[in-house]
Amino acid sequence: MSETGAAAPGPRGAPGPRQGPAPDGTLPAPSGARVRVSAPAGTMLNIVRRSAPDAADTFYVHSLIRSQLRLAASVALGFLLLLVGLAVMVFTWPQINDIRLATIPLPWWILGVGVYPLIMLCAFLFNRAAARNEAKYRSIAKK
Amino acid sequence: MINPAVALLSVLLVSLATVLIAVNGLRLSRTTGDFYVASRTVKPWWNASAIGGEYLSAASFLGIAGLIVVSGQDGLWFPIGYTAGYLMLLLFVAAPLRRSRAYTIPDFAQIRLGSMKLRRLTSFLVVVICWLYIVPQLHGAALTLGISTGLPGWLGSLLVMGVVCLTVLAGGMRSITFVQAFQYWLKLAALAIPAVFLLLHLGLAGESATLGGAVFDRAADPAANQGLYYNISLLVALLFGTLGLPHVLVRFYTNPDGPSARKTTAIVLGLLALFYLFPTVLGILGRAYTPELATSGNADATVLLLPGRIVGGTAGDALTAIIIGGAFAAFLSTSSGLVVSLAGTISQDLFRGTVRGFRISTLIATAVPLLLAMGTSSLALAGAIGSVFAFTAATICPLLLLGIWWRGLTVAGAISGMVTGAVACATSLILAAALPNEAQSFHALLAQPAGWCVPLAFLVMFFVSLATRRRAPVRIDEVMARLHVPEPQAGPLP
Repeated sequence: MSETGAAAPGPRGAPGPRQGPAPDGTLPAPSGARVRVSAPAGTMLNIVRRSAPDAADTFYVHSLIRSQLRLAASVALGFLLLLVGLAVMVFTWPQINDIRLATIPLPWWILGVGVYPLIMLCAFLFNRAAARNEAKYRSIAKK
Repeated sequence: MINPAVALLSVLLVSLATVLIAVNGLRLSRTTGDFYVASRTVKPWWNASAIGGEYLSAASFLGIAGLIVVSGQDGLWFPIGYTAGYLMLLLFVAAPLRRSRAYTIPDFAQIRLGSMKLRRLTSFLVVVICWLYIVPQLHGAALTLGISTGLPGWLGSLLVMGVVCLTVLAGGMRSITFVQAFQYWLKLAALAIPAVFLLLHLGLAGESATLGGAVFDRAADPAANQGLYYNISLLVALLFGTLGLPHVLVRFYTNPDGPSARKTTAIVLGLLALFYLFPTVLGILGRAYTPELATSGNADATVLLLPGRIVGGTAGDALTAIIIGGAFAAFLSTSSGLVVSLAGTISQDLFRGTVRGFRISTLIATAVPLLLAMGTSSLALAGAIGSVFAFTAATICPLLLLGIWWRGLTVAGAISGMVTGAVACATSLILAAALPNEAQSFHALLAQPAGWCVPLAFLVMFFVSLATRRRAPVRIDEVMARLHVPEPQAGPLP
């Protein structure tokens, strides 16, 4: 919590004014002292206005979002199918409990130990692929 | 039995250490010129340990072993859900949320959709979630103190909330990433040392820790064996509930950028996986050596009672003292994380973020759950936390997921989806508590509502957004770019 615990207005100064959504449709800065403590408001909390968000820019961002979403969704789906598959397997095939390793039934090994390296593998692969998507975006957007 | 003096000493030691470190942390944080610069120097490893320290609550420390004693194999789904919830957080939320520069979930709602009405609704839900999440921590504290010292349990709740209130009021929670990080390793050690010691002891004595495999045969109480729906619905709750936990989200701001937010989350996964090995081992030992707890309604005390049961004597006392210290570290770190998020939210929306307002909010944030905890009796810890996760999954999770990934989300859609999810989930949980658990399958639908509430909330949010498409936020392209475009790589960050 600590650092961001500064989310709480600190004793270091008076809180900033509360900002609501501006009438001209600009994004509202998250209100109040939180903003002020951690960063000079204005530089941090407003969207960086690019001179003119042209069509090409918007298109690149769209395709970046799509590829990241596709990646996240496929990793999640694969993992969830596997988990549900395990739940169904243990439920519909109780005899699997008779397969034992050091007196401990196989489902206990799978659910208690085996799932975790799998979760970490998913995380590792996702991180690499997501970074690759971003690198691709950077190289296109710079041109 | 447990030696009360040793137990009390352990509790007081951990409480005192927390206060001392917090007060010293305050002094350190005053000399740090710019909070923002400081936050950029937090390494993913430290940050990950701190997140782990905050996330592993009473439900993880005491609840999982208790659940395994009561319902056997079904209990294993809880730690899987807690860990895989973090995977979902990594996949869908970590980097975009960091880039959104929101500190809290209400901030995110306002940045994304620019509506004060939505912001207030989100704040309200965050407050409810935090309160409901603190209550089981206090029940855990009451149980631990009651079992270990024989003192009335409410003293334990009072002690935890007192220490939390003191540290948060002093402002000491501000720059103590290292305290939370330390709490993770303390909790890990407090379960790992006894688990390894007990296994060694049994091994040397030539006893089988699993009674030759007999402990796995059936759940002690056949009624505790839940059906397939129950387990899958629980998984939905835990997987998608983690996404919206207010005290978890606020930590992501300490990451310098999107990629390091991802790296931190990946490390957290490793730390959680490591931690959950030990409650599982202790739960299995509990099935062998404290099986009577399964039907006594005190299964959450398994971890506390095991050392005395297996080893006894001075060694047993010492191990129990270690476990009790770790348990109080769990109550303290999770509660203080929640109280800080809670007080921040209340003070911003009720008191316009003044210092005085924050102090008053802290008092409100600690007093309400304390009264709730004293007024209610302890449920099974893991189950109570599971219900909070279900509620979060049906309210905050759709807002975050659709907000981050779908341009079409509108204010009306977000509000109606969250209200639907909240009402459906709360009604169902209240009905489940009020109705007797007779028809098994029907009752499971109410007791574990995530399986249908979460899709319902998503669908309502989606279709209402479609229907109100014309009122989509104007600057959607800029907001989406802010969430997803990677940080420029040029040069070191300021």
